[in-house]
Amino acid sequence: MSFFEVKDVKKTFGTNDVLLGIDLSVDKGDVIAVLGPSGSGKTTFLRCINFLEKATGGTMTFDGETFDLAHIKKKEIAKIRKKTGFVFQSYNLFLNKTALQNVMLGLTSGRKMKKEEAKKIAEEMLEKVGLKERMNYYPGQLSGGQQQRVAIARALATSPEIIYFDEPTSALDPELIGEVLSVMKQLASEGMTMLVVTHEINFARNVANKIVFMDGGHVLEAGPSKEFFENPKNARTKEFLNNITTQHET
Amino acid sequence: MTERILGILQEAFTRILAASIQVTLPLTIIGFTLAMVIAMIMALVQYAKVPVLTQIARLYIWIFRGTPLLVQLFLAYFGLPKLGIVMDAFPCAVMVFALNEGAYCSETMRSALESVSEGQIEAGYCAGMNYLQIMWHVVLPQAFRTAFPPLSNSLISMLKDTSLAATITVADMFMAAQRVVGRTYEPLWVYIEVALVYLFFSTLLTILQRAGEKRLGFFTSKEVNTKKEVRA
Repeated sequence: MSFFEVKDVKKTFGTNDVLLGIDLSVDKGDVIAVLGPSGSGKTTFLRCINFLEKATGGTMTFDGETFDLAHIKKKEIAKIRKKTGFVFQSYNLFLNKTALQNVMLGLTSGRKMKKEEAKKIAEEMLEKVGLKERMNYYPGQLSGGQQQRVAIARALATSPEIIYFDEPTSALDPELIGEVLSVMKQLASEGMTMLVVTHEINFARNVANKIVFMDGGHVLEAGPSKEFFENPKNARTKEFLNNITTQHET
Repeated sequence: MTERILGILQEAFTRILAASIQVTLPLTIIGFTLAMVIAMIMALVQYAKVPVLTQIARLYIWIFRGTPLLVQLFLAYFGLPKLGIVMDAFPCAVMVFALNEGAYCSETMRSALESVSEGQIEAGYCAGMNYLQIMWHVVLPQAFRTAFPPLSNSLISMLKDTSLAATITVADMFMAAQRVVGRTYEPLWVYIEVALVYLFFSTLLTILQRAGEKRLGFFTSKEVNTKKEVRA
């Protein structure tokens, strides 16, 4: 039984239809990679299901409760957000806070946890992403890869039921991508439920157990990772995979 | 320089200093403090896009930035009594300086607030914080750091502008100097003297600004001296 399910998510910006009805169901421990060309609506979809954009239509079922995305109340949004984590393409760390404070703030401020307790959890999370010795550094003093690992620690600290990743490695230097992907791989192996919008085809192939392929605001193909790569059914999917493999060879 | 001039300068100095402590500094400090309160309210109202209040803020800024300070002083002190609003010169000057400076500083504060990236606010929501918590922990500290140098600039500028209050009979440093000049007819030396006293106070404020900026820091930890060290 899926603990998280969205149905018919739609989003229109003015006269521009970006999402034309997206369905997705997630089981505990799933690592789902959302693939697709630029402009296919992947990021908008992720932002809609975490309410950073207001969806024009659709429903969400989370832990047995169903919400209407176009008319969801602020309180309900706050409630759902406390069970989710979000990792941005551009990290978005709080620039006036150290790495440690960045990880703690969601606990002390957002959840009224005691400082000592929050600090203990934050240190644990920073250790997990290999940055405990950098915990008193400010974002401006960390590399892109380090900042993104702090951002992952921040998302982890609130023990979310699912973490959304919005192209977490797209803003990074090629040599810094590896450190972020390996942290994500480790999380996946620990059973964290993850929904990852990405262009990292190898991550999708090797780490994700399910793939969602989007184009033009639709889901064109969705299924187990192995099947998707070995036996794609949709013509557009085949073309996309073909293009990517050729690119990798050149 | 003759002994006579030295005598005049000495006498003028005591009067100028007394006027600075009794009038110029209180006018600057009270006026600027009120200006900060006004500016903060006007900036936050616009930042949060509160309907109606935003339009009122824009109207206020438009009027007070668009008309000369001297005209505002005259209008408040000589004009308003015609409407039955009579104020003593000092509170009248405080009010005009606060309103005038508040209009400028609210724009400084608004731009500082808007310079904090939208992404950090979104990250705050995603971390489970609400609007006020994000403002308090993330937006305001960064905006304050950004606004501090230009606001210090405004304060220094206002200290000097208080000399305009002499025109509405406020007995400030400049009026003290004018009186000595009127009596002794030594405009060159006495005005140089009063200029130097203004320069002294401005320099003091500049030093305070530097110390303040250092204290506020650039969000860098003491463990790390340079960025290079981290990257290495």
